[in-house]
Amino acid sequence: MNAPMESFEQRWTSSPEGFRVPYEVFTDRAYYDKEQEKIFRGETWSFVGLEAELPNKGDFKATAIGDTPVIVTRDQVGQIRVFKNRCAHRGALLVREPRGNVKSFDCVYHQWSFDLTGALRGVPMRRGVRGQGGMPPEFDMANFGLDALRVESLNGVIFASFSSTVEPLLDYLGEEVVDTIQRIFNRPIRIMGDQRQYVHGNWKLYAENTRDPYHGSLLHLFHNTFGLYRATQAGVSHMDASKRHSILKVVATATPASESENKEVYKDVRSYNTDFHLQDPSILAGRKEFDDGSTLIINAIFPNLLLQQIANTLAVRQSVTYAPDAFEIVWTLFGYADDDEEMQMIRMKQSNLIGPAGLISMEDGEAVEIVQEAVVRDGKKTSLLAMGGGRAENVEHMITEAPIIGFWENYCRYLGITQVRVA
Amino acid sequence: MSQAVTAAHASAIEALHTAYLAALDKGDMAAWAATFASNEASYFCISAENDRRGLPLALMYDDCRGRIDDRVSFVTKVWAGTYQPYRTRHFIQQLSMNVAGANQYRATSGFMIMMTPEGGATTILTSGEYRDLIDIQGEGDQCRAVFRERRTVYDADVLPRYIVFPF
Repeated sequence: MNAPMESFEQRWTSSPEGFRVPYEVFTDRAYYDKEQEKIFRGETWSFVGLEAELPNKGDFKATAIGDTPVIVTRDQVGQIRVFKNRCAHRGALLVREPRGNVKSFDCVYHQWSFDLTGALRGVPMRRGVRGQGGMPPEFDMANFGLDALRVESLNGVIFASFSSTVEPLLDYLGEEVVDTIQRIFNRPIRIMGDQRQYVHGNWKLYAENTRDPYHGSLLHLFHNTFGLYRATQAGVSHMDASKRHSILKVVATATPASESENKEVYKDVRSYNTDFHLQDPSILAGRKEFDDGSTLIINAIFPNLLLQQIANTLAVRQSVTYAPDAFEIVWTLFGYADDDEEMQMIRMKQSNLIGPAGLISMEDGEAVEIVQEAVVRDGKKTSLLAMGGGRAENVEHMITEAPIIGFWENYCRYLGITQVRVA
Repeated sequence: MSQAVTAAHASAIEALHTAYLAALDKGDMAAWAATFASNEASYFCISAENDRRGLPLALMYDDCRGRIDDRVSFVTKVWAGTYQPYRTRHFIQQLSMNVAGANQYRATSGFMIMMTPEGGATTILTSGEYRDLIDIQGEGDQCRAVFRERRTVYDADVLPRYIVFPF
């Protein structure tokens, strides 16, 4: 058991070789608790759902921001609301189903009833029974509504915040992330379903993984083998101005790499076998659906969201934390409401690419877990982020770890960790 | 009109279930693929949550024989060395069997999969239900059963780890 950190005065030192992250950040409960306070319940906007998941008045879903349970619902006038999933009476979980439709939220414990705006509407035996009991005269139902969060949506993507002072959502996201969301959510979507996966690792290892263009063609051999993504392709590794979020994008190019160039780049790689052929290549026979020609966009949005387009798979991945060494990934795949039958079939076939058993995502779960297993001790030892120069700078290629450094610089800012770079 | 299942067919179907479990418990992906019809077959693995909600998204969506064969190659060739090996034990119990056509049956079975990672303790991976369309090929005592379609509906709302092998 680690001793609690007093006042949390931490100092991280980086070297000229690159940015250094102490391993204890992935294992120490003190970091985890501080993250809940300063990040998930602090000056941030967290993803909580898609409006398409709540088409009707009274629809709700239960989810969590960090590890705080919340309810997302659409009220009687169609407005999206987010509350802590906790009865204002004795603190019981109000909603236990993952989703449903209700007229009111009724606590099972003493049947206190809240309307869809979170206002307390009913307290059984409030005036007593046969003149006995009842609530004291000072009791005012108006003081016992559900704890409401701030809510903002962008093109049907719902974010919520515990903070009353965080900047408006659009400012928080920044122009390039807003463009990315608006590009994908350009018209009504159709939800295809969810996948849920428990990962035996720290949530920040996944935040790193999804900001890491370097691993794309090395860990994910499917990419490489079938040419979905290779480092020889043109791409960009961008961050928003605050460097919290990242946008990794493969862009269409007029001059694709030659076979000999690919062979040279991957000559040290354990498997680069372009002779392998699919029995049913239709999994890769997608359709161009964006004018810009990009076929791969990985947009990590601080702190808990990943928005992706890989070929014709469109998805959001939400991280829900449980403990320093445990989190859950909730994948929600979608297409567009106006997809024709063939397009729906293309998306279904390509859904094999992602999710807990995905041909290019299964290994991310493994990558997180093998780091977690190895860093359980030696907390002051550090990992190295150096590929691409070791600084959080936007670059017009994908041979970099820069967006991960952007994540950690913000992490330090949120938690009040001092960063020192030794020359 | 309900029809009786002949003893030969019942025994062929039991052998098919056994072959399927034995293949996965040995990690023999080629033997897994061999339990499906060779011309036209499909394998779907979907969460009970999506199934209940009427949503199509699957964990594995092998809608043709070619993709079943490709899954064998993904696990044995493309992914080789990437994942931490784990062993499984499958247990099933047949719940229903009905005649679907000439030499064809619809069957459902409950299943449970135990999982043991290399160097780890044994835990439950998930339970669930197999919903099968089974073809009988050949006649009499020489007959053999194959899956025309196997739809695996797994119970776990949250899978306990990343998944490599079919259920």
